[in-house]
Order: sequence, then C-alpha cells, then structure tokens
Amino acid sequence: MSDRITVEELAELMKKAAGVTVSPEELRRRDDVGFDALGIDSLGLLGIVGELENRYGTPMPPDAEKSKSPRQFLDLVNSALLAGA
Amino acid sequence: MSQPRPRRAAVTGIGVVAPNGTSTETFWKSTQEGISVLDRITREGCEHLPLRVAGEVRNFDPPSAVEERYLVQTDRFTHFAMAAADLALDDARLSRAETDEAPFSVGVVTAAGSGGGEFGQRELQQLWGKGSRFVGPYQSIAWFYAASTGQISIRRGFKGPCGVVASDEAGGLDALAHAARAVRRGTDVMVAGATEAPLAPYSMVCQLGYEELSTVDDPARAYRPFTAAACGFVPAEGGAMLVVEAESSARERGAPVRATLAGHAATFTGASRWTQSREGLAEAIRVALREAGCAPEEIDVVFADALGVPEADRAEALAITDALGAHGGRVPVTAPKTGVGRGYGAAPVLDVAAAVLAMEHGLIPPTPNVFDVCHDLDLVTARARAAELRTALVLSRGLMGSNSALVLRLGAGDAS
Repeated sequence: MSDRITVEELAELMKKAAGVTVSPEELRRRDDVGFDALGIDSLGLLGIVGELENRYGTPMPPDAEKSKSPRQFLDLVNSALLAGA
Repeated sequence: MSQPRPRRAAVTGIGVVAPNGTSTETFWKSTQEGISVLDRITREGCEHLPLRVAGEVRNFDPPSAVEERYLVQTDRFTHFAMAAADLALDDARLSRAETDEAPFSVGVVTAAGSGGGEFGQRELQQLWGKGSRFVGPYQSIAWFYAASTGQISIRRGFKGPCGVVASDEAGGLDALAHAARAVRRGTDVMVAGATEAPLAPYSMVCQLGYEELSTVDDPARAYRPFTAAACGFVPAEGGAMLVVEAESSARERGAPVRATLAGHAATFTGASRWTQSREGLAEAIRVALREAGCAPEEIDVVFADALGVPEADRAEALAITDALGAHGGRVPVTAPKTGVGRGYGAAPVLDVAAAVLAMEHGLIPPTPNVFDVCHDLDLVTARARAAELRTALVLSRGLMGSNSALVLRLGAGDAS
C-alpha cells in the first residue's frame, strides 16, 4: 500500500462500496466530473471514506465525504495523509 | 353540473418473481398445473435450523436483473421488488421514456413484513466481529421496510405519491388498496405490491418463534391447509408487483385493462387469535363486497388465506360462509400458495396475480399437496378447473392479527 491514495485505489473502492464501475483511465481523464454524475450518492461516498479510514488506520478530514468530484476528493485526502505522515 | 365519474383502479401490468417462476408466464404455467416447488432449504447457514422446508426463488440472477450500484445498496427483498417492478411496467407497456414525460403521475407503494434481514445480518456481523467502523452506510437504508418503495422510485425516476404499508401479511392486499385510493385521488399510475426475502439465517431464526410455522421436513407434507393433517405453514421468498392504473389512463394509451380493484377492507383481531379471525375476516369480506357493489353470489372464486393451522382453517372456512351465505359452500375455493409457500406480505399479492390470470384464462388453479379436505368448502385440488370467472375474492391474514379481503373484477381487455 502506498502512502498516497491513487486513482486506481479510488476506482476499486467506488466499485466495492458503491457498485459503480469506472476505469482508472477514465477517472483520470474525467477527474472533474461529479460523483453524482458517476452515480455515487452521499452514502456511497461515506462508504468509500469508511473503507479508507479502516485501511489506513487514520481518520479522513471531515469534509472528505462532502467532496463533489474525484479530483477534489483525492486532493483533500492525500494532503491529509501527507500532513499526518 | 354533473359529477365527474369516479376513477376506477385497473390492473394493467403484472410482474412476478416467485419460487415457481421468475416471469409471469412461468409462474402461471406452474400455478395452473399445480406444481409444488416446496423443497428443503438450501441457503447457506440455514442447514442446522429446525425450519426445513420453504419456497426458495432459485432461478433469479440479481446482476442480470438490476444494475450493480443498486445491488450493493439493497437487500435481496429489494432486488426482487426492482425486478418485479420492471416486469410489471414492461407488461403494462409503460416505457421509461413514457414515465419520464410525466414523472409526477407515477407513484409506488409496497408492503413489507420483515425488511432486509440478510443485508442486516451481514452488517451486524461486521459490527460485532470487527467494530462499528466496519458497518457500511447502506445498512441505514437497506434493512428498512421502506427500502423497496424508495429504490423503485429512485431507479425509475418516479415522483408521484409513495408509501409503505407495514400491516402484516395482509399488508400485501392493503398496499394494493392504497394504490387504488391514490389512483382515485388523481395519480394515473401506481406500481404496487410486495416482495420478501425471509430465508436467511437471521430472518429464519426470527421466525422460529411462530407457533404456526411448520417444521415438518417432508416437502409434500409440510403445508396442507384444510386437511386433518394440517401442521402449520411454510415460508417463501419472492413476490409480485402490479401496475395499478386509472382505467381512463389505460384506455387513453390503449393498454388492456386486465382487472379492476373493485373493493377492499381490512380488520384486526389480534396476534394468533385464530378463532376470532373468523369474525374479522367475515367483516372484511362484507365491507369489501359492499365497496365493490358486489352480491355474494357474484363471487366466482375465492383465493383463501389457507394458513394450515386447524383452528385458523376452521375460522376461515366459517368466515367465508358467514359472509357469503349458502354461496360460501358452493363457490370454488383455491390456495395455490400450498405449492410455493407463504411469502408473508408478498403471499396475497401473488394470489392477486394468480386471480387475474385465472380470470383471463377461465381456469381455477389447484391447491397442491392438499387432498381430503375436512371443511365445508369446495376446494379445488389435484388439477385446475375450467370456469367462467368474472369476479374473484382474495383473502389474507397475518400472524399478528390483520385480516384483509380484496374483490377483483375481470377487465374488459383491449380498448380496441
């Protein structure tokens, strides 16, 4: 496990926690598209945050679950992980 | 100024996901042939439980029926409901494009007896096995009685009146009546019915406390209502959704009116008070007939509740005669659920589906596994009976004391 959450890991979590299949390439290409447009609702995003917290053993920033897009989400959680490291 | 004509509630679509068929066609074929699919329970984790026989839905593949994002956030009972709703809407020839044009004119109402037990068990195992941080957020909605109504409306984009009826097994009929009232008040289309998934370890343990439950392990002998060998009921999963639509709306779009929901009533006589259910069921029948403007002699077939407990069977047989008079001893009675089991709130909705199909085909399906009836009823056994059927009466009682009756009239068919 890397110390940064990658687009690959986010794509895997989106499928696991919210049942939404998007390839990492597509996520990279369309990283400003909203979670809502991808079919991920607030509970789905909350599930992704919960999974990450369990994996990394550290709380994610409270605003993580309010992120509108994958880009915004990754920026936020990765800066928090770096600050905590 | 003339009074506007009352809006009649018609059945224009039927969607079935049942132990004896995951399409309406196979359900009817198995039902009219009197095939029993009751069998030993094979679900993982259930092998050691004293409940041995049930009606399992074995030919249902959730990923081929429902998108993955809806599968991960819902329980099996909602998978059944979403699939059955699709089948019913297709059957009613209501496309997504059509309902998208008028989303506020389509509502949803379901009944549920136990909610999402399998999903709930998995998350509770996470809670006690790993800790609260390992419980998924969808647990907050998936277990809930209202989940199927909500998910059907979200998935199909319906914005009309929605509701959930939690009134025991009879709730299946009450949900259809609720849909009929919504139609009379002005909503064009209601997707209504019930599905259940009570065959998972936690849900099964919850049922073990019911003294009416049959623990006989021979599928041919486990559920035989109205006989001297009656030893309780066996549970089932699956169910049905119907499209209940204003008759005028169906005519406008040229959709066949298959039946009308003509009358309904519900009463309550207390949990497991089966002797008292006689009076409650008879009253429900009388009031439903009155609402339908239907004389007892007009009832051409009765779909019985058929609990399979001697005291309850006796009460039902007497209630039919109390309410229908001498006609009660002559009218053909059937209980096709002895071949599939009782799916709690879903059981009477399957009976309504079977009743509509029976009227359309002029054929009363038989009561599988039942011979030597020991009550004063003309129970249709062994094989289907041909009959001209214009009006059907469907009865349901729940273990907690709800009794309901629904009167259906055969529709005029195609408008053309």
